[in-house]
Amino acid sequence: MKIRVAAGYLGVTNINRRIILFVFAFLFFSPSVYKEVWGDESDEIKKQMQELRQQMESMQKKLQELEEKNRKLEEEAQKQKEEKEVEKALTETAPPPQPGFLQKFVQSLNPDISIIGIFSGAYFTTDDPIFHAEIDPENTGIDLQELEVAFQGVVDPYFRFDSFFALQRDIFEIEESYATSLLTLPLNLQIRAGLMRSKFGRINLQHREFQDFVTLALPAAYFLGEHLNPVGAEFNFLVPLPWYVELSASVNSPGGLETTTFAPDEDANNIGLLLYIFHISNFFEVTDDFSLSLGGSFATGSNGTGTENRSNLYGADLFAKYRPLKYSSSYQEVWLQSEFMYRQAETPEKTLDDWGAYAQLIYRFAKRWNSGFRFDFVDTDDPVVPLADDVGAENLLRVIRQEVEEEEEILGLLGKELRYAFMLTFNPTEFSRIRLQYEFDDPDFRGSYSAFYIQFQYSLGPHGAHPF
Amino acid sequence: MKLYKIFQSVALSICFALLTMTFFLFVSAEDALAKVRVVTSVPTLAAIAKEIGGDKLEVEGLAKGYQDPHFVDAKPSYVLLLNKADLLLYTGLDLEIGWLPVLITGSRNSKITSINAPGNLNSSTLIPIVLEVPTVRVDRSMGDVHPLGNPHYMLDPRNGISVAKGIADRLKEIDPENASYYDERLKDFVKRLSAKIKEWDEKLVPYKGTEVVTYHKSWVYFSDWAGFKEVGYIEPKPGIPPSPSYVAELIRKMKEMNVKLVIAESYYPQKTPALIAEKTGASFLALPSQVGGREGINTYFDLFDAIVGEITSKLANHGKG
Repeated sequence: MKIRVAAGYLGVTNINRRIILFVFAFLFFSPSVYKEVWGDESDEIKKQMQELRQQMESMQKKLQELEEKNRKLEEEAQKQKEEKEVEKALTETAPPPQPGFLQKFVQSLNPDISIIGIFSGAYFTTDDPIFHAEIDPENTGIDLQELEVAFQGVVDPYFRFDSFFALQRDIFEIEESYATSLLTLPLNLQIRAGLMRSKFGRINLQHREFQDFVTLALPAAYFLGEHLNPVGAEFNFLVPLPWYVELSASVNSPGGLETTTFAPDEDANNIGLLLYIFHISNFFEVTDDFSLSLGGSFATGSNGTGTENRSNLYGADLFAKYRPLKYSSSYQEVWLQSEFMYRQAETPEKTLDDWGAYAQLIYRFAKRWNSGFRFDFVDTDDPVVPLADDVGAENLLRVIRQEVEEEEEILGLLGKELRYAFMLTFNPTEFSRIRLQYEFDDPDFRGSYSAFYIQFQYSLGPHGAHPF
Repeated sequence: MKLYKIFQSVALSICFALLTMTFFLFVSAEDALAKVRVVTSVPTLAAIAKEIGGDKLEVEGLAKGYQDPHFVDAKPSYVLLLNKADLLLYTGLDLEIGWLPVLITGSRNSKITSINAPGNLNSSTLIPIVLEVPTVRVDRSMGDVHPLGNPHYMLDPRNGISVAKGIADRLKEIDPENASYYDERLKDFVKRLSAKIKEWDEKLVPYKGTEVVTYHKSWVYFSDWAGFKEVGYIEPKPGIPPSPSYVAELIRKMKEMNVKLVIAESYYPQKTPALIAEKTGASFLALPSQVGGREGINTYFDLFDAIVGEITSKLANHGKG
């Protein structure tokens, strides 16, 4: 029916309709023909389809490749752009030649010159205060305590050279004048040579303007003769340990020392009687805020009381500092400095045993304000009688250094002496200072007394930084 | 006899010390080959060095980021670090004059002791313009002025690029084997920093011309970059704390102007600036000025993210109560 309708619709005749029917039937029932006519064609289509698909696929691939290429190109362009920008940033900010800049520096090869003046006023509750150290205030009144002049600079790639002169109204002293090696030496060695404050404890390395009190601590005044600054050569080794350890050894000539502890021997050719000083210093950074330094010192040399008579001086030093660094309290700090000294001195009469110590606690409670307390004393088993009262004091021993006999310099101690000091310091800037101090001196060989000090200090010029 | 014994024991102890030293020298010589040792005076320079040197460097900063870089204790432990340093980076312009020279002298390390040694890099020589170089004779009546110019240049991030380049150049000189590595990292750092600078610039644009008061003259480079106008300082002169009368005068002056911001580094006293801000209606900001100035600020980017972020958010909220 359907075929007929279809044929009718196409407008074919009856005969033709039969033929068509036949052909259709034939075609329908003959699988071979079916296959020959339709089958081959579907294969071809399939094939073509497949080809098409393949073509499409390859086109797609090419497209992807192109896209990839394009992307890469774009990326590269971006990269180049960025690189250009980086280059631009780098060249733009590169420092232009600045001929004028250097001229603004005062380029000179002069050393750094600085001068520090320390003046002090004193009031004593006694007429004849004990004379401890030359640069301490001596009597009630106002005086120039010390004028320190320093010349410092680098000599050449191998050395720097530092000189400090201490002047008083009638005294000129070469306090230090020494060279320091700057180059790398085996065993982390650093050499200092010249006239210098020896590495013996802590206070011996601290110049007067850097000390925390107006007067010098008793053990330093008595045993070091204010400061031990012989002429010599010092070898400092930095020991490669996880913490800071410095070993120092120096050989010095005791001539010209202010100290009574060491003096040249009559036998000038004896190398063993030169002054040998050893020091070990340990530094521990316990935390960022708390540091601890421990040291030991030993000095041995002739003392000039007779042939081959020798003094041995032992020292132990401690320094602890707490400075909370975080935030606005960073200017507040507390530090404790303490030293112990023990001296053995051979004399024609007998061997003297003296010892002394000091401890000072400083609290910096504001950026410009310090306050502190110091306790210092010296003691001896064999007191030396004061020269004025020596008549009839048979059991007391007096040892006078031979070549300065006229000046009556005493090697032994007069007895026990104990002292307390309180101070308050105001530093308007790093370059000036006003200090008040009260001191109570209590010796067992004479009456005790008090002292009040006021000290002014001014500093001009670039003065080298101080060691920690 | 006694004397002989003393010398014997001293000699023995010296021999022992020398032996231990040689032993430790051998031990330390072995690991010395590996990395370039860089020591920086301040942590911001350490942060830049780390960006350039990556894992080829071992970087140590001496001062802490939360510490006033003018006043640092010359701890002997720093000597140990300098003793082994291949490169010392410092701010220069006398910022570290009070503590670094004595450490350098103690270092016994000729790689860094000479100013023109490859291992001695004064970063202030790397930046294009040093601000506040005195044009007239200065003296200390002006306070603790820096006679060579203002040393707080790392607070302008553009100077970070110059300094990074200088550090890279120096590293290439010291360690030529890794030159390309340093170049790559420099380029990468500059790319990132340039992008960041653009971002910070955009954030700061609305606030150009803002009038600020700072504690110390340590923000001049920052203000120069950000376009801020510094109209006063809490210190009457560099390094000199303010007196009550000066503070009163400053408050009076600030009220006449339109000061919106009072800035002080975290290590300065905070009470006075906070009080001044309160009295004048300005906002007070305690800001870090170095990498490490606060917990979480570990890179140069962190530093400016914090500074710019806090300033802009303070200014955005200004006047809103």
